[in-house]
Amino acid sequence: MSQVWTILGALANVGLVLLVAPLAQGILRRITARIQSRQGPPLLQPYFDLLKLLGKEDLESGEAPVMQRFAAYLSLAAMLTVACLVPMGFAAPLNAAGDVILLIYLLSLCGICTLLAGLAAGSTYSLVGISREMMCMITLEPLFAIALLVGAVHSGSFRLDSVLRGSVYTAAGLPWSGVLMLAVMLLSFQAFVQRVPFDISEAETELMEGPLVEYSGPKLALFKYAQMAKLIIYSALFVTLFVPWGSGLIFPLGWLLFWIKVFVLVLLVTVVAATHARYRIDQAIRFFAGLMGISFVALILASYGY
Amino acid sequence: MIAREMFEQFKQRFGPLILRADLPSDRRLFVFVDPSSVKYVCQHIFRELDARYVASIGSDDRPYSGNFLVAHNFAFDRDHLLCSVLTHLPPDDPRIDSITSVVPAAGWAEREMRDLVGIEPVGHAYPKRLVLPDGWPEGNHPLRKDVLWNQVPEQYDPDREFRFDEPPEGCTVVPFGPFHPTLDEPAHFRLYVEGEMVRGCEYRGFMVHRGIEKLAESVMSYNDIPMLAERICGICGCVHNVAYVQSVEEAAGLQPPPRAEYIRTIMLELERLHSHLLWVGLACHIVGFDTLFMQSFRIREPIMWMAEKISGNRKTYALCVIGGVRWNITPEIKTELRAVLDKLESEWRTVVAAVSRDKNIQKRTRGVGVADAGLVKNAGLIGPVARAAGVDIDCRRDHPYAAYDRVEFDVITEQGADVWSRVLVRAKEVFESIRIIRQCLEKMEDGPLQLEIKDELPVGRMGLSSVEAPRGESHHFVITGENNRPRRWRVRAPTYQNLQGVPAMIKDQQIADMTISLGSIDPCFSCTDRLETIDLRSGSVKVWSQEELLKLARKKVER
Repeated sequence: MSQVWTILGALANVGLVLLVAPLAQGILRRITARIQSRQGPPLLQPYFDLLKLLGKEDLESGEAPVMQRFAAYLSLAAMLTVACLVPMGFAAPLNAAGDVILLIYLLSLCGICTLLAGLAAGSTYSLVGISREMMCMITLEPLFAIALLVGAVHSGSFRLDSVLRGSVYTAAGLPWSGVLMLAVMLLSFQAFVQRVPFDISEAETELMEGPLVEYSGPKLALFKYAQMAKLIIYSALFVTLFVPWGSGLIFPLGWLLFWIKVFVLVLLVTVVAATHARYRIDQAIRFFAGLMGISFVALILASYGY
Repeated sequence: MIAREMFEQFKQRFGPLILRADLPSDRRLFVFVDPSSVKYVCQHIFRELDARYVASIGSDDRPYSGNFLVAHNFAFDRDHLLCSVLTHLPPDDPRIDSITSVVPAAGWAEREMRDLVGIEPVGHAYPKRLVLPDGWPEGNHPLRKDVLWNQVPEQYDPDREFRFDEPPEGCTVVPFGPFHPTLDEPAHFRLYVEGEMVRGCEYRGFMVHRGIEKLAESVMSYNDIPMLAERICGICGCVHNVAYVQSVEEAAGLQPPPRAEYIRTIMLELERLHSHLLWVGLACHIVGFDTLFMQSFRIREPIMWMAEKISGNRKTYALCVIGGVRWNITPEIKTELRAVLDKLESEWRTVVAAVSRDKNIQKRTRGVGVADAGLVKNAGLIGPVARAAGVDIDCRRDHPYAAYDRVEFDVITEQGADVWSRVLVRAKEVFESIRIIRQCLEKMEDGPLQLEIKDELPVGRMGLSSVEAPRGESHHFVITGENNRPRRWRVRAPTYQNLQGVPAMIKDQQIADMTISLGSIDPCFSCTDRLETIDLRSGSVKVWSQEELLKLARKKVER
């Protein structure tokens, strides 16, 4: 019986992410438009955009069309698998299937998909794009891994349900390591969801979408969908890890509060994206490297119980 | 220093090298020299007298004087003097010493002369094809008078491809263009890249030539050409319109009525306003800051509406005819324009205050795309690019035209020589433009809009006009001719010079900085690509042949 519930729960999570992600994108676009004194598209426009793309002819292009297709499928699949591991107002459905390490691997898999996509396209722009993507990944992924590790150290377990419950803070209050990691994650969050000022690997005005340069139609839709899902899932992860307060409330309240927190985070991303210029790759890497230093300090502090 | 004094100085220095001279006014000097001494004279003018290189013009003068004509134009900005060094070349062997070794800025102009008129610059440092399409046969020069304006040579091979130079050792090639989101028009930069660093580049442009100069010299008339001239550019069209008309007026010795001069000034400044606001927006878009892009376009829009109220068009004002203007500024428009300017000024102040405090934008633009005063001199860079390097030049003050000698304004300079300084220069110039328009509205006197011209314009006279476009100096050179049209009309748009500085500006920078460096000169490829007899994309379209496409396009125009 519990397996049925697990499957149903996983389906619910996946469905929820698929349903909400374009809405978040719609809100993001609408708010951006308002900041820019524009009308902006209808709230539901991202749904129509995806439907339109999905209905287009499925062209094969680039150096390795099979790999290109595979990368598109894999990117959305990886994102949705992560969705099953993250509590979305309820306990994570695939809680028992893996631990925090699995989560870290799955998140890097999304970056690998961009790499595959860029390699498959084989154009100069996509290659420059993936080299930037990889440079970012190498410096970014450890940040999230360390945040989860700090949580694991505090909670004494790698289990998802114990880490993804505001574990960077201890019952006793706010330890230094948790506060440091909160600051680090806030400062790098824009990069995790690949928005301005850190949309360096796609940089439309420099690289013409970089790795995605050869994508069109349904495959582009999948990639875009994965990117929208990424925003929601990273926001959810951030909320479970750093803003756990109020999750314990009874059903509709706690659940609603969770989603309100997620959307507040989306708003934050929007405002930052609308008020910044894109950084250059070397400037970004230097920034990430600084954050990495801080997060190592946090990890050391955590292992001493601070 | 007026032209006569400068000519005395020339006579002392060059003596018998000067064959004859023409001093039509205090601010113009035409010096005819022997072909063999052109290089020496130019070197002296450019290096010792520290003149600024403006343009080189080749002209087929065989039907009239029996010779080819070459002119190298220089500007003495501090002395308010434009000077042209001319020479005649024999019809059977049009060769001339290249001046590129002493005046590097002449590189493109001489290549263009070679392509279009067939005048061979001997000793040119890089005599590669510049303007003509790749499949155009050698030895056919469209701007020669014996070539018809619509003639395509039989040997024209639309499938031949351009041969690029070999990239340097250890570099990969990143093609930038012909189509790229930050290029609004086709141009091709072949970047030689090592990792993320640009080590060099080759430029291939001139892909959308429309044969405007040839068309003007063969089928249009004096008063048609202003309308053609403003179609050279989609942003600074009025500049070309005014510059052409002024050069013809100068050649013919006509003085437009004062009210017309004020109206020209107002329209030119309106154009600068909307162009600068557009540029700030685009520059922000290039570095990914779309909010300011949208805001500056919003602020810009009322200017477009004012232009439409005055001329009936947001762009392409069709403003000038020889000897005057076609649109009046009525008292109602005056009031409205004042209100628009007030609103613009306060809004722009907010934007400038926000931008100049923004560390994020400065991070992307400081120390990027550096063009120092040395490069400005050698590559002949102009406009905001020069002023951002502390080179204090502005045609509005140095070579006053229209009503600029009757208004007060400051020439904005910065010292940084980088993209950030160019942002500041343009941002501050917006306020100066507002100031100029306000003064014009104040001082504008009543009177006729056009000069009554009864006689035919004199033949074989030369006129120069430099107009400060938003991007820099737009220089027009006209030789008047028979059949109510000029014999030769040469346009040197600002981007023509500024693009030649780009390879030096992007060298040893990151690719990410390439787009904003290029963007910072506010490139206008249609201005640069203005001449060519036929333009066809070289056979990359498989389903449609060029002929079919052309037929289709013509059918559409015929309706």
